Amino acid sequence: MSAIKVVIHSFPLLLQAAMTTFVLSLVATAIGLVIAALVCALGLSKRRWLARAGAVYVSFFRGVPLLVQLLLIYYFLPFIGIDVPSLVAAVVGLSLCTAAYLAEILRGGLASIPPGQREAGEMLGLAKSQIWRRLLLPQAVRSMLPAIVSEVTLLLKASSLISVIGVAELTRTGQNIAASTYQPLEIYATVGAIYLALNLLLAAGGGMMERRFGLARR
Amino acid sequence: MTFDLSVFAGSGTEILGGFLMTLLAWISGTALSLALGLAVSLGLVFGPHALAIALRSYVEAIRGTPFLVQLFILYFGGPYIGLTLDPLPAGIVGLAIYGGSYFAEIFRAGFLAIPAGQVEAAALLGLTRRQIVGRIQFPQMMVVILPALVNMVIILSKETTILSIITVPELTFVVKGIGTRTFAFVETLLALALGYWLLVEVTSACGKALEQRVARHLVR
Amino acid sequence: MKRGLWVGLVAALVGLSIAGAASAGHADDVLAKVKSKGELVVGTEMQFAPFDFLENGAQVGLNADLFREIGKELGVKVTFVDLPWDGVLPGLEAKKFDVVAGPVTITKERMTRYQFTLPIADATVALLKRAGDDSVMKPKDIAGKAVGGGKSSAQLDQLKLFAETLPGKADIREYVDNNQAYADLAAGRIVAVANSLPNISYVAAQRPDTFAVVTPPFGQKVYFGYVGRPDEDSKTLMAAIDDALRKIEADGRMEQIQKKWFGLKMDLPDSVPEPGF
Repeated sequence: MSAIKVVIHSFPLLLQAAMTTFVLSLVATAIGLVIAALVCALGLSKRRWLARAGAVYVSFFRGVPLLVQLLLIYYFLPFIGIDVPSLVAAVVGLSLCTAAYLAEILRGGLASIPPGQREAGEMLGLAKSQIWRRLLLPQAVRSMLPAIVSEVTLLLKASSLISVIGVAELTRTGQNIAASTYQPLEIYATVGAIYLALNLLLAAGGGMMERRFGLARR
Repeated sequence: MTFDLSVFAGSGTEILGGFLMTLLAWISGTALSLALGLAVSLGLVFGPHALAIALRSYVEAIRGTPFLVQLFILYFGGPYIGLTLDPLPAGIVGLAIYGGSYFAEIFRAGFLAIPAGQVEAAALLGLTRRQIVGRIQFPQMMVVILPALVNMVIILSKETTILSIITVPELTFVVKGIGTRTFAFVETLLALALGYWLLVEVTSACGKALEQRVARHLVR
Repeated sequence: MKRGLWVGLVAALVGLSIAGAASAGHADDVLAKVKSKGELVVGTEMQFAPFDFLENGAQVGLNADLFREIGKELGVKVTFVDLPWDGVLPGLEAKKFDVVAGPVTITKERMTRYQFTLPIADATVALLKRAGDDSVMKPKDIAGKAVGGGKSSAQLDQLKLFAETLPGKADIREYVDNNQAYADLAAGRIVAVANSLPNISYVAAQRPDTFAVVTPPFGQKVYFGYVGRPDEDSKTLMAAIDDALRKIEADGRMEQIQKKWFGLKMDLPDSVPEPGF
């Protein structure tokens, strides 16, 4: 088959796989943000063992390659009686990993909020949870939005690793096609172009959100 | 499931060789990508418009695609346009191109973080462009961007595992090979996790020490 | 941070030892479970044409056809799980599936670790070269040249043994994946790739303008088989699959499937032969 024919022929399959990649990455980011907020709160706790737990979480999930984390979730949990389907294992693995990076980003964002605001919230009689949910987190997320978007693009690319536990995402689907057509270069170039398009889409979305938050601030 | 560390017996030199190969690719790839990133960021911030557009496309294209895809095209596609690199040089060049795009963005953010007034003041005092960059902007921005730099260096250390697809015998390649040969998957997986974790912890410890040093220098 | 590291490590090790303890003392017959569920779960990698690959996103190949017949004989539905090869055998040990398709070359070392079914194809090693490359006309011509093979494959081991008998030392490169070795052969870094004859015959048939097979095959005669866990629980399942394979061979279905994917009939032994390798 000619190069163009191979690309046209495989494009629908690659697009379908790209959807899997895109959706799983976004879901993992959403869950990851929730975990990250908890981990970040732990890390800032005055109780030392809680702060320590937060630090260990970040150290482990940033230090151990995602590939190894995924294999641990998928292959070793069944030995203790927890059987995880591969799609669930993929989302859990991606969420846990990105949460470690997001927690660090949030920490940086929180540090940029003047302490007076928290004190003001306490004076006004807001509950601790309210101060977090209403005051600190929204501001941290807003000021760190560019960093969060860039973490999502990293996650989008890292999500190619979930193929090791049997999820047919974009890279794996490309490799599968390359293995039956024996024309890997054409396929890899197409796969690269699709990743690029997805990331440009994300960047555009991030830009729009930034402008919206900017308006809200006024 | 069994847990048997004896699978590593007799493979000591092989593993050490893999580890050294990882270090070699990582350190030379990082050094090259830092240099490339700095050069690109200078072009982005100070270069003429056309150059800035070309460099911006490079940065976006590389940051938007996975390293695996880039390395594959460089190594297996290169020969079709007369660029036949051996595995290790291809791996190092690939890392440099990949890391360079991220470092360029980090350096650029650093340049932008220095107030314009300082640059203007230095120019009024008669400092040359080179002196302004080298003496005023660079030392200050290092304080701001060091955490981001260290983070990226850590990410590069884990990207070296991908060099295995072009037959570079780095740590993952060697240890996984032992796993396939001895069927000791659990042991080899854990050994890999530990190896990279150690590398990352040492790197971030060095980064923290460096951060303190750079900041102290500025306070004085 | 340093203490964080050790706490995490200890936690991981404790977790694993609990895992190990929990997996012991579990006794269930795999065949009985497969029959009661009505489903046989097969792990494989669908990047191994002509045995297992994808066409327009659908699985095709010898495995799909043969397991359809095996499923009929056992009276169960067959479900395939596609994983990168790195994850397939660990997945079998973690009981994510009942049997592994692959197929896997039957060697002495692997027989101590797993149970194999009857041979399903010839796995003898041969060389693939670039079409029109006159410098490699027979296996011996690789002396002093660069040749590739799949890392940790039985075919690579045979290639190494063969290369030692040659006058000029061949430069043997190890690839994590056969498909990368083919790509490097096309790119011109190596002059040949060693893999099983059925695999490379298929590659050459698909891209005749790029690749060609070097005949004859060399090295020891070896076979491909399917793989099960070595435990007692798997014995009945493996025996049932062997019975099914004998029936499929006897009534000519095997020949049909082989002709479809290899273009010829392969003579196979009707018991697992003692591998000479």
